[in-house]
Amino acid sequence: MSYPKGQNFDHKKEIGQQRSLSSGQMAWYRFTSNPSSIIGALIVISVILVAIFAPLIAPSPQSAGSFVDFVNRHSPPSRDFLFGTDNVGRDIFSRVIYGYRVSLGLVVGVLGVAVPFGVFLGLLAGYFGNWTEFVIMRFTDIMLAIPPLAMALAITAVLSPNLINAMIAITLLWWTWHTRLIYRIVKAQMNEDYVEAAKVAGAGHFHIMFKELLPNCISAISVKISLDAGFVILFGASLSFLGLGVQPPTPDLGTMVSTGSEYLPEYWWEALMPGLAILYAILGFNLLGDGLRDMMDVEV
Amino acid sequence: MEDNILDVRNLNISFSNYGGTSKVLRDVSINVSRGERVSLNGQSGSGKTVTMRAIIGTLPRPPAIIENGEILYENQNLLALNRIERNKIKGSGISIILQDPLLSFNPVLTILRQMEDIVKYSDIKIGISRGHEERKKLISETLSKVQLSDHERILNSYPIMLSGGMRQRVLIGMALLNKPKLLIADEPGTALDVTTQKEILDLLNSLVKDEGLSLLFITHNLGVVREMADRIYVMQNGKIVETNSRENIFKKPKHQYTIKLMDSVPPLFGDKVIDVKNTNSEVDEIISVANLNKSFPIRTGFFNRITSQNHAVKSVNLTINSGDIYGIAGESGSGKTTIAKILLGLYATTSGTITIDKLNLDEQVELKSYRKLIQIVYQNPGSSLNRKRTVSQILSVPLKFSGYSNKMIKDRVNELLQMVDLPVSYSSMYPHELSGGQKQRVAIARALSLEPKIIVLDEPTSALDVLIQGTVINLLHKLKKQLGLTYIFISHDLSLMRNFCNKIAIMFKGEICEAGNTKDIFSNPKHLYTKALISSIPVISDKEESLKPKVTYEERSAVLQNTRTI
Repeated sequence: MSYPKGQNFDHKKEIGQQRSLSSGQMAWYRFTSNPSSIIGALIVISVILVAIFAPLIAPSPQSAGSFVDFVNRHSPPSRDFLFGTDNVGRDIFSRVIYGYRVSLGLVVGVLGVAVPFGVFLGLLAGYFGNWTEFVIMRFTDIMLAIPPLAMALAITAVLSPNLINAMIAITLLWWTWHTRLIYRIVKAQMNEDYVEAAKVAGAGHFHIMFKELLPNCISAISVKISLDAGFVILFGASLSFLGLGVQPPTPDLGTMVSTGSEYLPEYWWEALMPGLAILYAILGFNLLGDGLRDMMDVEV
Repeated sequence: MEDNILDVRNLNISFSNYGGTSKVLRDVSINVSRGERVSLNGQSGSGKTVTMRAIIGTLPRPPAIIENGEILYENQNLLALNRIERNKIKGSGISIILQDPLLSFNPVLTILRQMEDIVKYSDIKIGISRGHEERKKLISETLSKVQLSDHERILNSYPIMLSGGMRQRVLIGMALLNKPKLLIADEPGTALDVTTQKEILDLLNSLVKDEGLSLLFITHNLGVVREMADRIYVMQNGKIVETNSRENIFKKPKHQYTIKLMDSVPPLFGDKVIDVKNTNSEVDEIISVANLNKSFPIRTGFFNRITSQNHAVKSVNLTINSGDIYGIAGESGSGKTTIAKILLGLYATTSGTITIDKLNLDEQVELKSYRKLIQIVYQNPGSSLNRKRTVSQILSVPLKFSGYSNKMIKDRVNELLQMVDLPVSYSSMYPHELSGGQKQRVAIARALSLEPKIIVLDEPTSALDVLIQGTVINLLHKLKKQLGLTYIFISHDLSLMRNFCNKIAIMFKGEICEAGNTKDIFSNPKHLYTKALISSIPVISDKEESLKPKVTYEERSAVLQNTRTI
């Protein structure tokens, strides 16, 4: 064959053909060129900041507790009470700000346990296959078949209705979605040669699962988490609405909608304002999730 | 020049991406006269496909920007037409055959439904109405044209149920349904085995002749071009660098790039062929395989019971000496990769004994030392390198698991990168930042990291362009000389194997039908399948063509018959 002897590989030429942006810059470009993801990120950041600095922002911090001010009960939104007051005269604006604390606490608590657990089981099932897969995935299916509200009712009936138990109830059901998601991704990745190449290189199971396969799941996980955040807030709110979650006087957005709805339609702000606050946070998390998906899905 | 069916004039196209624009086509001019076969040739990324998509009007805009130029079809500027007028030409005037016969079909619809849709929607465009029976008759006629029989069964099948060659035939049939005048073929047959590819190319040639079609043939394979084109355009980096008639291009290519392309095609016969010899001073047996069988159980039904066995490897005997470059050739599904995976200890054998480095395979396969004996380089570095890990992370895996310390790993990674001629600074890059050839170098470095004696090369160059292929082959030669390696080279590219392997085994349906010194097999093939295989390889000169073994059409179909069933 007539390849010139000692033909050297021209690296400079090859580098010249590459795109000038690094992958990080490219991802950032994709993220920032999508206005909805920027809005989503700003909303989420604002919610987090509000939750952290609640005592500094809230005009009437005492409203977060069992404070009563019958003079101002049911007052409509005004300069003094931005979102109006509720049936015992507490400032709804302050209660919404504190409500974000409870909601974000719920999100962090639930996802902090459910995601690592679900991802781990998904990795196990997808990587080992056979009996491991059968046992884990069928158990996941069973857990998925339980209606979430029935599960929450059962748990809070056995234990007592409060924030921690509501968290436990949601967590017990939430991991299943992550297991299914990761299982599917890992199953697809198992067909790629790099898994076999790692086996041939002598790598152990632990290495292949956490160092080779997990990095390929990260983008899907982070997108799912940002979408989950909205749903967990919503689910927590519906539990509180049923009286199974956070108990009064702790301000929770769901409970506020629930009690406020008794005074509809005259005192509309009592249900509407916390409802809008829920909408705002969920919108933010969903927009951010969409933006993250667009940013990470494209293979560069 | 009046009789040009297609005339592309000074086409300039650029793509805007992430804030920048890059010029993809520069002053591309191509013309095809009536009844002419024209080929567009070039490496991947040279702009062939962009040209093709501009002609048929499927360029995504944005990001593509057509800066200037004209595309004249029968003296009508396609770029100036509106959408409706242009759609009328699609299918009925210009038709296309795409590269991958499986990806071009919708997997959930039957062939009949997909072909009928084509007729139905073009009828609407032209403004005639035909009933189901009439459409079916037309489809049946077209299938006969592409030499398919048993129409009823094919039409009621789903794409997955047909073999690759049949799918490609149906695809050609689809392109012919509306009796186009110009046929554009984008690398047809590239995804097929070499014997099937030959049949498809012969079919296309006879269709062009019988139907009076014009053909624009897009490919990177010069051997195929010699059989398929009257006139050739060579493209590099978005520019046409040379155009001439077939005879002139192959006889005296003028542009340097064309010459480089010609030289990089491995010759099959003639003086340019390199006879590789085992250069090791001591030659002793390193692998011996005796009577190896492997069957995979096929499970069906509700209880996943084993209902039958797929016999992938049948009574295989092999002897490989140290220092050999042992080629295992065969088409897809012939069992060559199964043998490699058994040697690597990834599959258990069904029966038979394998001795590697004087020890039985079963005794050592679980040992760590076995990983230092045999390693593998995969076909597609895009899949065999984890795209979320950097080059140094990839290279350190085998080292970490055989007890290297962090300091030693770092030194060894740098050493390995130098061995495969990559700069040390590449260690922090991710695979997608590297080109295809560079990725494959990283994969080779990983295989070398534990200093194995044997490396299995599973089609290491087939995902690469022909010029890059040459540099990788040179690197493999250099490493073999430096480290005294033994290669097992698995491939379907026989012309490459002719120049790279000193011994070769031809596999056919799980059996080795012929084995021996490469030189002997190619100069005097004994088995009919070997003859059919060698005679199907596209070559780039008439001299080589005349030296191929002669196989009649009947002999070919007799030996290949069983592989062509649904």
